[in-house]
Amino acid sequence: MSVAAPRAALQAPGALRLSGLDFAFPTRSGARLPVLDSVELDIPGGSIIALIGPNGCGKSTLLRVVAGLLAPNAGEALLDGVPIAGPDPRIGLAFQEPRLLPWRSTADNVTYPLELAGWPAARRTERLASLVGLVGLDSTVMASRPSELSGGTRQRVALARALAMEPEVLLLDEPFSALDALTRERFDLELLRLWERAATTIVMVTHSIPEAILVADRVVVLSPRPGRVVADIAVDLPRPRTIADLDQAVVSSTSREIRAHLGDPDAAGEVFANGHAAATALSARSREELAS
Amino acid sequence: MTRGAWLSVGAVFAVFLLAWKGLVVVTGLRPFILPPPEEVAGRFVTAWTDGTIAPHLSTTLVEVALGFAVGAGLALIVGYALARSAVVERLLSPYLVAAQATPILALAPLFALWFGSGLLGKVVICALIVFFPVAVATMVGIRSVDARLLELGRSLRATRRQVLTTLEIPAALPSILGGMRVGVTLAVVGAIVGEWAGAERGLGVLINLARGSLFDTPLMFATLLTIALLGIALYLAVIVIERRLVGAR
Repeated sequence: MSVAAPRAALQAPGALRLSGLDFAFPTRSGARLPVLDSVELDIPGGSIIALIGPNGCGKSTLLRVVAGLLAPNAGEALLDGVPIAGPDPRIGLAFQEPRLLPWRSTADNVTYPLELAGWPAARRTERLASLVGLVGLDSTVMASRPSELSGGTRQRVALARALAMEPEVLLLDEPFSALDALTRERFDLELLRLWERAATTIVMVTHSIPEAILVADRVVVLSPRPGRVVADIAVDLPRPRTIADLDQAVVSSTSREIRAHLGDPDAAGEVFANGHAAATALSARSREELAS
Repeated sequence: MTRGAWLSVGAVFAVFLLAWKGLVVVTGLRPFILPPPEEVAGRFVTAWTDGTIAPHLSTTLVEVALGFAVGAGLALIVGYALARSAVVERLLSPYLVAAQATPILALAPLFALWFGSGLLGKVVICALIVFFPVAVATMVGIRSVDARLLELGRSLRATRRQVLTTLEIPAALPSILGGMRVGVTLAVVGAIVGEWAGAERGLGVLINLARGSLFDTPLMFATLLTIALLGIALYLAVIVIERRLVGAR
């Protein structure tokens, strides 16, 4: 099956366990808006999980809970069996947008986490060189400012920064969604090559079913808000994967299954149709909550 | 600037001088009302070579520099507190606005009474006039720091101090320096006003001397020119610092 399976059997580092995670945002009226509803998920170290779900279902919130940026109202998130109490250097996070510091050069953006962690300059330079190789950054842009870089290059810089502390877990919040379709496929494949070398657990939030299937060992489908895990679908594609793998029959059957769980009635609609269904379901649910 | 840009600046200046000279010739105004440009230029040169202006300029410059340093320094601290604490803003902003709305001209005699005719009174006036624009610019700059960058800092476990030095200050710097540009020219105004209210030396004193006891209108114009050049030089100095610090973004 996948490369991840034997790693997981050996209790590889970077194992995540989410049990009974509840999260609610306080609203202005004082009521609480539930976003996550007893999320259960077991992620073996070294595997790749894609999180997919309708807009506003709490995917990004779930990622922030795992990153230690938000504390759950109930339940817990464990990294290697220990509860995550706050931001942790063993967890790297890349956001939807690159979030580079516009006044810093490429090199200084990549090594920013190391600087904050108090690494001496010589060690930072050393680490920079290996990170540049890892994410395939062009070494001629090291002195450039973010405004001088292309969108794809900026995202590479952000990825290198997320990997700077050699995290066990890499959390990606729709990292390539701003890129055009072809660039995005290329980045997905490069991410897989990177994963083979860096041996991190990857949790990737995505809106794209093909991207989820191409990248992940398992595709986890969340319900409309409050998000619950409604399906956990294994992707039965051998690794290493290539773009040609997307033509296999198993891809379309997996894709159909994901769509069915996303609540799409004819299982062939576009993603925005799911968004609409989610919005309808959401308003119905919030009416119930107001009544209770 | 390109060569063309320099040429156009020179051309506008030449037109200004010609219009000035033309006004004097056409209206026949006497030199003690409006001296012609060449007479002002001549007086400017002699006042510099015979050492009339230099000691007054150095006095004013010291007042401006100290007043700016004190005023801008306090404004950075208060502006940061205003940006980060709603309580501080609610408590302090009425006083800040009131201090800004009261004409500095009206306060100058009071400060002369309190602090005497020496350096201290002028430093206080300069600091007061510099404070408001820099404090507001600091507040706006710190508030405009991208919340997403602050979240990034939090995810990387940045300390309070690291957030300040690596995120907030660099992000707010363009705005702060914009406030300082305004502040430094106002500091010159503050120093002159303070000198008018009572002083031994300074460019404001020299203007009074030239107008009153010396009855030397060309010297008055030469002093005004010196004040204007001082303002321009300080403004340019802030821009040079800005280019260095903010540079290419």
